[in-house]
Amino acid sequence: MSVAQQTVTETFTVRFEDADSQDVGRLGGKGAGLAEMTAHGFPVPPGFVITTAACRHFLDHGVLPPGFDDQVAAQLALLERRTGKSFGAGPEPLLLSVRSGAPVSMPGMMDTILDLGLSRESAVQLAEATHDTRFVADLVRRFHTMYAETVLGALEGPDGVMALLDGFRPDDDAGDAFDRMWAFCRDALEDQVDEPVPTDPRAQLRGAIEAVFGSWNTRRARTYRAHHKISDDVGTAVVVQMMVFGNLGDDSGSGVAFTRDPITGKDELYGEFLISSQGEDVVSGEFTPVPIREAEQSLPGPFADLRKRCAELERRRGDVLDIEFTIERSRLYFLQVRSAKRTAEAAVRIANDMWGSEVVDPLRALSGVSTDHIRQIQRPRFVPDEIEAARGDGRVVTVGIGACPGQVHGALCFDADAAKEQAEQGTAVILARPNTSPADLHGMIAAEGIVTATGGSTSHAAVVARALGTTCVVGCGDLDIDPAGGTLRAGDIVLRAGDQVSLDGTTGELFSGTLPSTGSASVSESFTSLLDRCRRASGATVLARVTLPGQAAEAQAIDSHGMVTALDDVLAAAGRFEALAAALSAGATADTADFAAVESIVAEEFEALLAATAEADMTVRAFDFLADDTHELLDRSLLSARPQLALPLGVPGFVEAQLGGLARAADATGRTAPLGFALRHVTDVGEARELTAAHRRVLARYPKSPVVPGVYATSASAVRVAAELAEEAPVVWLDLKLLMARDWGIPAWLLLTAQPLDDYLRAGRLNGDPRAQLGDGVRSLLESLTAAPGPMPGIRLSMPVADSLVAELYAVGCRTFAADLAEVQPLTLALGRAALAAG
Amino acid sequence: MPAIDKQQYDVLNVVALKKLAPVSAVAVSTRLEEAEVTSAFSSLAQADLLVVVGGSAMPTDDAAQVLDQHAADFYANVRTDPEVLALVERFDQVNDAFLTTMSSWQQVKVGDRRVANDHTDEDYDAKVIDQLDRLVARLGPLIEAFVGFDARFSTYRERFDQALEKVDQGATEYVSSPTVESVHNVWFEFHEDLLRTLGRERQA
Repeated sequence: MSVAQQTVTETFTVRFEDADSQDVGRLGGKGAGLAEMTAHGFPVPPGFVITTAACRHFLDHGVLPPGFDDQVAAQLALLERRTGKSFGAGPEPLLLSVRSGAPVSMPGMMDTILDLGLSRESAVQLAEATHDTRFVADLVRRFHTMYAETVLGALEGPDGVMALLDGFRPDDDAGDAFDRMWAFCRDALEDQVDEPVPTDPRAQLRGAIEAVFGSWNTRRARTYRAHHKISDDVGTAVVVQMMVFGNLGDDSGSGVAFTRDPITGKDELYGEFLISSQGEDVVSGEFTPVPIREAEQSLPGPFADLRKRCAELERRRGDVLDIEFTIERSRLYFLQVRSAKRTAEAAVRIANDMWGSEVVDPLRALSGVSTDHIRQIQRPRFVPDEIEAARGDGRVVTVGIGACPGQVHGALCFDADAAKEQAEQGTAVILARPNTSPADLHGMIAAEGIVTATGGSTSHAAVVARALGTTCVVGCGDLDIDPAGGTLRAGDIVLRAGDQVSLDGTTGELFSGTLPSTGSASVSESFTSLLDRCRRASGATVLARVTLPGQAAEAQAIDSHGMVTALDDVLAAAGRFEALAAALSAGATADTADFAAVESIVAEEFEALLAATAEADMTVRAFDFLADDTHELLDRSLLSARPQLALPLGVPGFVEAQLGGLARAADATGRTAPLGFALRHVTDVGEARELTAAHRRVLARYPKSPVVPGVYATSASAVRVAAELAEEAPVVWLDLKLLMARDWGIPAWLLLTAQPLDDYLRAGRLNGDPRAQLGDGVRSLLESLTAAPGPMPGIRLSMPVADSLVAELYAVGCRTFAADLAEVQPLTLALGRAALAAG
Repeated sequence: MPAIDKQQYDVLNVVALKKLAPVSAVAVSTRLEEAEVTSAFSSLAQADLLVVVGGSAMPTDDAAQVLDQHAADFYANVRTDPEVLALVERFDQVNDAFLTTMSSWQQVKVGDRRVANDHTDEDYDAKVIDQLDRLVARLGPLIEAFVGFDARFSTYRERFDQALEKVDQGATEYVSSPTVESVHNVWFEFHEDLLRTLGRERQA
């Protein structure tokens, strides 16, 4: 078929009711969504889609395809017949919204043009229908501005137009109002645009369509596509839809509905409605909408319809929706339907309720909740009773504007340098400033919380705090902060640098003193229930990494299945590195060091931790001289003098001392449950044998020792012989970070941060992200383990949990994991999702 | 009060805006050669207007006052230019819109509350980025007007373009992160620079 024939026969337009909603490629995302809604009988305003094929023709040839105008005219005629309205004329004027709708959304594309089709005649008719000339003048203003900005490229709206608008009254002559407003806008924009906004509605439509197509090739859209590997040949569709009017009287209005409460997640219709108004009025803040519950008294019919449709659509989509709607003369229309944004608390409650309802399948129910939601919820927060008590005691110093949520406490600090210094010494700091500037950035990064006396929710402090995720309160007007004098005054209260304060970034309250915080344990029934469901779905075991006794208690409170710890972490936290180094440097050779001292240090420092873990599952990782943190903290001369220590069993006496110390600590706490002791970097059965030999020697001294020897595999060689290693040393863990680091040839510490890997990936130098996917090497290693006899080793995850990585690990058969304490609950969710996805 | 020449002013101004500024960043923001910046660093350090720590400069307490005084001199004609003044009138409005847009990037409305934007809604993000792009474009005439008096202001245009290009490439931290040359950082510096150039105070 020749190009000429093809263009003659091809249809470039399709009505919503005739379109195949699966054909996103032709209809674009928005068009396909509207086709789907129409097909299922949802009340969307009628309209049609100009397909991506027309866009491609326009881009290839620089003109719209032949016959295109006729096709659009035919669609308009159909739309006029169906709606009983006339485009650009009366008695009932048909106005249109014109939107771009590519198969994938991207920046740089032309946005919406509303109220297209305004001619003098339609404006006059509309004024008659609404009995409101001022409204029509406003419509002309809005349309003119929008068209000039989106189609003609004007940067500023018409200057002074609001003053003109304010001069119109509802009963003014409409024709005159149209003329004056149109002329004013045209003249005010003259300098900014090459041609004026067309007065002919059909020319307006054509201009808008060409502008949508043209926007496919804006510099920004092209850059975005290039970097997201989206073909330049896709093109965009155009959605043309009837405008509906909510301001035609008391049987009309506009509103926003959420199918569930997006703040609490409660299963009830939530939203607001403004009678006799257009959608813009609801969000403008000029008028006060009423809750739907109140509004439905006056229009019971349409609201009953709304309730029914909302429930139906939520069930169909399996998601909570945010629906913009208009009621035009008692008839309900859905203008826009989106997945509802929600708070973390709502996300959890909704997911749990939907899972329980069995109307939605569990995997779909989980789709609205992310690991970040879990992290947000488990952030420490003030004990509610303590907040009440503090308020009652008059400890509220001031109430400002909450700019970034969080409940934190720390020592008051008035200077960025001092904040940084104190934070580096481990003191939690609340930075208080009259205002902030880039000069304070280092202090803002170091602080737990930020308070400023001036500024609103868009001030420098607020923007930076949100970018950092740091709790922040701004605009505390009654605060007098004097950094030079080191005081903060609010009325009679005077606080000084170093005083403890507590800050609530949601309510904006600053309290004097420390408000006790809850742990990350169960914050709500929904939270507990959802994680329980995930645990049951995955059947996986998740252990928490702990270092301090308090963390052991917390690990148990969040229902982790047990704990892991590392000998170096425990000794570092206790400040025993120097003593350890001294003991290991003693004696003439590495093998004659003061191992008795080492054993005592381990025994002393583990007693409290083991007491806190009681009989819970626990594995202790042996001291690793090669670990990045250890390397930083330990005097390097030790390893230069005694390089044997760098080998897993280079100094068997040291391993024995650790085993002995743990045996003594276990004995002191009465622990009888097995206590794993896993040695890193072992790659050979010979090493494992030496480990068990050391273990037997310790058993001879401490026959009741519950310690079970094991290994932490950190290399491919170790993984390959994991089953044989397990025969000697039954506790086998894989240290995923180190395995990945070796396999990808990237230092382990780089896997813990965003940069420079983010940039490296963006530059296209790696085909995958080692923080989010296993890669072929590690995956095939793990797959080989599934085939091998014996239980699958546990996976130690030390990076923040990425859903994609967890899904892969689950898919290859991993069922036992250890993660940082704060990552246990996110991991539990990710495992539940992975299990459901795996079916 | 030490007298400084225009080149020294430019260098000290950038140092004051950034607080801790390496030679390379000052060179970009002033369009000077790195050697020129280094030499300005040492003369300014001698005048006790900045201190150099590990290759980066920090302003001393005296820097702001010296800059303010010299700005009044260097930019006397800018301060009375009718075109600049007309455009500056409009800046506050653009600035308000910019700050609101920045909030929309960081937080989304949920009912009557705002929660952190988790950047899972590409449609929403694309719209905010478009809006930012427009606002930066709206700053264009004002930057141009400043460039007419002092060519160094054109570096703002370049820095905005670079930040937006990064954003389009998917490096969305270039919208508001305080630790990179983000659109917000460049905007903030421009705003501060504008205030000093015109001898104005930041609005409360």
